[in-house]
Amino acid sequence: MLTYNLYSILKEELKNGSNNLVTRPTGQAVRERIERDMEQTPEGSVIGLDFSTVGVIDYSCSDEIVAKLLSRLLAGEYGEKYLMLTGMNDNQRENIEVALERKDLAIIAETREGTRAVLGNLNKYLRDTLEFVIGRKKATARELSEAAKIEANTSGTRLLNLYKKRLVRRIGGDGSLWAYEAL
Amino acid sequence: MIQLTEETFEKTLQFFIRSDQIDLSDVSFIDPYGMVGLLEIGELCMLEDIKKTILLPRSAEVLRYLERMDFFASARRSFSLEPMHVPSPASPGKAGDSDVLLEITPIERANDIHYIVGKVEERAQAILAKHLRYDSRAINGFIVALSEICQNIVEHSENKGFVGIQKYRFPGLGKNIVKIAVMDAGIGFRRSLSTRFKLAGDLDAIEKALLHGASRHEDEGRGHGLAAVRRFVEQWQGRISIRSGTAKLSLIPKWARGREREPRLTNFPGSQINIILPEVSST
Repeated sequence: MLTYNLYSILKEELKNGSNNLVTRPTGQAVRERIERDMEQTPEGSVIGLDFSTVGVIDYSCSDEIVAKLLSRLLAGEYGEKYLMLTGMNDNQRENIEVALERKDLAIIAETREGTRAVLGNLNKYLRDTLEFVIGRKKATARELSEAAKIEANTSGTRLLNLYKKRLVRRIGGDGSLWAYEAL
Repeated sequence: MIQLTEETFEKTLQFFIRSDQIDLSDVSFIDPYGMVGLLEIGELCMLEDIKKTILLPRSAEVLRYLERMDFFASARRSFSLEPMHVPSPASPGKAGDSDVLLEITPIERANDIHYIVGKVEERAQAILAKHLRYDSRAINGFIVALSEICQNIVEHSENKGFVGIQKYRFPGLGKNIVKIAVMDAGIGFRRSLSTRFKLAGDLDAIEKALLHGASRHEDEGRGHGLAAVRRFVEQWQGRISIRSGTAKLSLIPKWARGREREPRLTNFPGSQINIILPEVSST
């Protein structure tokens, strides 16, 4: 995983000494820098946005940075790449979740203690499927069908939907079955 | 008139706007709402090339308080002050005073919000944790609400504004409270939202923004700000009022008094927001 330290980006882009992600213009400046950096990363990259050294993030900045990056990622604007949040505290998680729920988005977030959870909106079926993939590190539709006792096309659709939300990586294909891998 | 607060704002507004001189000599109490209200009157007058005179309070205590809140730094820009020499505060300086959470601070650009958030963060333990018994989550909510409310000025008002925050002891409640006043003399809620919504008036515009998260921007990520501020204020049993144009809407908790909807007020451009947050009960 490639990690972008948001505090370093904030310091370089704003130059005002603040460690807080507040206001839309701040969020826009940070997002544009991340977008430029993401352009240089190879397809298939997992990019972690590291919040461990930033302070407060408000709703506007959450929307400008996380929700917009994710919306554009899902729209295919950055190619086949994946995003997750790392080094988060409870307050940051809470504020970002509001912005994600408003746009019906979901992302994987890792706390400072290393615990991972989904932030935002994700229905129960997809949450269960994601847990299944994370538990096995990698899974195919057939494996999910067998474990969950569901039709192959249902398990395939669930895994595909997780992939479309960029919550799992898709690997393989080209004659063999697609496999889905935890980020 | 002896007090300059939200409660006396309607009377003082009518009086001050008409007179050449703003006589504060008998004022015995002035809160952040009173201070930023005066500054906004000054800003409006400046637009018409009028510089009114403020006759400063006789009370040394009130003068010291105005000094601690850094009122004079902003007031000198838009008013002539009499007497011209304001006495130095006898007590420790502005930043050293434990009741001031944020001195009167102008808001013009996004960088000002970083300054405001940084200052409040610095003093949060001394005021919010100690006097309101806020935990880390509540302090975070306070800072985020403040950031969002101040950003509205930069994003929507098309003008500059002011913010001030102070802690008081509220005798009627037997608790500490924090008062936040944020104002601008910009385009106001109605004009800002009228590009997207058909509005019945100022009250309708304020309701749409505060209660329904309406924004002039179509992006669904917009409009969080005020709605989140309302949630925060309600969660901590606070009181919020928003005045804009000729109307005021207040969300009033059980411990407070007042009217929720006030139409047909004296027209005053921009928006005037007052938030009062009480100390958290120990039980």
